[in-house]
Amino acid sequence: MRDMEEYIVFIEFLELFQSQLVEDPIRGRMDVIHHIFYEKFPETNVPDIGNFMSYVNEFNDLCGYALEFEGSTVAPVLVNVVWDRVELLENALVGTRNKPKIQQQLTSEPSSENKENKLTLSLKKLLEEPFVSVLQLYSKGFDLSYNRLDELLKAKTSFSILMTEKIKLKTEFKKGPEVCEDANHCNILSNAIFNKSGLNAKNANIEQKQAHTLLQQNKHLQSTDAYKCSQTKVHFLPIFNANTDLYLGDCSYLDTCHKLKSCRYLHYFTLKPSNNFQPLPANERLQRISYVDHDFTIGDCFTEYTRKLTPPQWINCDIREFPFPVLGKFAAIVADPAWDIHMSLPYGTWKDLELMHLPMNELQDEGIILLWVTGRSLEIGRKALTTWGYKISDELIWVKLNQLKRTIVTGRTGHWLNHSKEHLLMGLKGNPVWVNRKVDVDVIVSGTRETSRKPDEVYDIVDRIVGKYARKLEIFGRDHNVRPGWFTIGNQVTGTTIYEPDVQKRYNEYKESRNKS
Amino acid sequence: MASTSSKWSEENDYANEYIHTGVQPISHVRNATMPREGYPKLEKLHQLKEKKVSEHAVKPYGCRIAAHLLMIQKLNSWITDHGLVFDVIMIGALVENQFILPLLTNLPIQKLCAKPGYLFIWATTQKIQELTKVLNNQNFNSKFRRLEELIFIQCNQESGGGKGFGPEDYQTCEKVPLLQRQQWHCWMCITGTVRRLTDNHLIHCNVDTDLQIQTPQSVHEGPSAVPDAMYKIAENFSNTNRRLHIIPSRIGYNVPVRPRKGWVIMLPDIILDNFDPSTFQKELYEKSKVNYAKSNQPQFLVPQSAEIEELRPKSPNK
Ligand SMILES: [Zn+2]
Ligand SMILES: [Zn+2]
Repeated sequence: MRDMEEYIVFIEFLELFQSQLVEDPIRGRMDVIHHIFYEKFPETNVPDIGNFMSYVNEFNDLCGYALEFEGSTVAPVLVNVVWDRVELLENALVGTRNKPKIQQQLTSEPSSENKENKLTLSLKKLLEEPFVSVLQLYSKGFDLSYNRLDELLKAKTSFSILMTEKIKLKTEFKKGPEVCEDANHCNILSNAIFNKSGLNAKNANIEQKQAHTLLQQNKHLQSTDAYKCSQTKVHFLPIFNANTDLYLGDCSYLDTCHKLKSCRYLHYFTLKPSNNFQPLPANERLQRISYVDHDFTIGDCFTEYTRKLTPPQWINCDIREFPFPVLGKFAAIVADPAWDIHMSLPYGTWKDLELMHLPMNELQDEGIILLWVTGRSLEIGRKALTTWGYKISDELIWVKLNQLKRTIVTGRTGHWLNHSKEHLLMGLKGNPVWVNRKVDVDVIVSGTRETSRKPDEVYDIVDRIVGKYARKLEIFGRDHNVRPGWFTIGNQVTGTTIYEPDVQKRYNEYKESRNKS
Repeated sequence: MASTSSKWSEENDYANEYIHTGVQPISHVRNATMPREGYPKLEKLHQLKEKKVSEHAVKPYGCRIAAHLLMIQKLNSWITDHGLVFDVIMIGALVENQFILPLLTNLPIQKLCAKPGYLFIWATTQKIQELTKVLNNQNFNSKFRRLEELIFIQCNQESGGGKGFGPEDYQTCEKVPLLQRQQWHCWMCITGTVRRLTDNHLIHCNVDTDLQIQTPQSVHEGPSAVPDAMYKIAENFSNTNRRLHIIPSRIGYNVPVRPRKGWVIMLPDIILDNFDPSTFQKELYEKSKVNYAKSNQPQFLVPQSAEIEELRPKSPNK
């Protein structure tokens, strides 16, 4: 029979570890618990698991089965501790502590006067490293609040704050018009333009200017509010005609509807503000010096202020055959391949493997690449980037907006779900110190245009990452893609225009060699 | 010329605006709060379906168990001892550190999943490549096919007081990402075959879209580790009644996972711990339209109505 004192040790042990014993990583495994226990309380004399289990079972008998086990008798797992029962036993035992001992079988503890000490000692031991009490941490100026820790880890660094500020200074603010949310305005304005004038918006392709002239003429039909609002905000005017069925709601295709004349769903006319192109009011205008005003030049090119943007350059070529070294190296590459996804598109599509085998490594030593992917090609795109030696750093999601600046929720059937976004994979090569990180967010919210035409926001986002004057390349570009600072190649661009003398020289050499052969 | 001017532009460039005003591009989406605004028929369909799903849903079940080894043990025992099978299995939540990989690799998921059945697997942009590897391995790939990649966009809440998980938490010091993260990915996979044209008792296509946006409203309702919208996509798509959600990590109390009608949620710290295989199965028979028609395995369906059939988007006949 053991001394009752010894069971107090087990209670101390339970209280110390509490639910940790049944949770990860211990998960109630008795062999592990034995190990921990014996390490902390070697004086309890339970060196092997057999001793320990009989000790634990005695304890459990004593306290009315506070410990609940699962699993086999060979390898039981502690799943729960009924604390009320432990407490009852503790109260009972603490009572006995002050009573004189009747049986004393422990030989390792010769002096009975130091019974209190034994407990304190073991407690102290437990508080040694690596276990640290909350109190100790507080004294070091640390609090264990999860929220505090979370905030600390999420906090922006000075570097990223300065970077963001700098880029703000360098980016021209293109302020677009706001959308008026007053449905009343839209009805009033629609009435003034279409119903009263007898204009049929479904037939007549009316111009913004014409619409605003009509508004002025029919000023008496509108509230001053609505009229004034039409000068500064965008309004979506409902177009009602004979075959419009209001119960059907909006047309899924809105301004891209092909059956405008017969479609019974509701369509809208976008009335843009009349004073669209007047300069911003002075107080809203940002008067900032772009390159003198900041001392934070990390990532900047030191000749930046003397540089001029290269005019748009492009080469009409078959990308499968064109030797990339002619072009030189680029800081950023954008590619929008016509993926072969079994759709009848008006231009030739690319086989997966052809794309994968492009010698992309010739175009970039370090920098970023952006690859447009859709549906099934998402997977191939991710693979292609890895094959070309890039680490996929981000994915930009293009949230596609319709005419009314809403997401597309209907009408794009044929898939499992409607498709309202596209993915732009971003890859990073090497470890460029000159890229600006985390200025933009990974979501582009922009309207749809012609089939497969991507949002222009991408160009500015790339500029903000690699710098305005860095060399940038677009592969599979079309005429609408050419722009200052960018080189555009593909079989959809018209002709060839080169400004950089070294590229021109290499291009001429390539042409000559081709003519010879 | 030394100043960055501002100018009116005819088109909106919300990325540009974000740089100057800090207003999130996503907040310009006009139908974020009411996604189906302007489409009364689609709205009606959603209401009808929601009602049907709710009428036939089992009560909320929770199974509180430590991640992830004990979970696997438990799930295995559900399969072997109780013959449990689920039609929809969602794995993961809006949490960075989850044991999704070990769970997927160690669990006989094809046994737990009915045929046809659907998997919804959550990932961050960071995790997606690791996960791709697992999902592309022969063992998995021969059984499950990816249908869609869903995106959930979460607005960073500067004023949120550090509450809630953002997809880019704790990565500020790393070299990647190059952009601020606002997106979560959710893969939608299928096992077995369904025909989009004829199996309308099993699935309804195109009721939802592959993009969901956290709305200001949902922010107001308090943080949650699982957006309602994603549960709804699964409920609207699959007309079956056995739904399981496994979250192989602790979530904590800041962003709780709420028990949900019609779902069994397995999570180390779910509030509710009431799951019992036989009670669940009994309730399933009571609540579902049980269909023995084609296979030996009964199908537990959410019955549909003529009105729903009329309103649901149909795939073009080809
Ligand atoms: Zn207005
Ligand atoms: Zn139409």
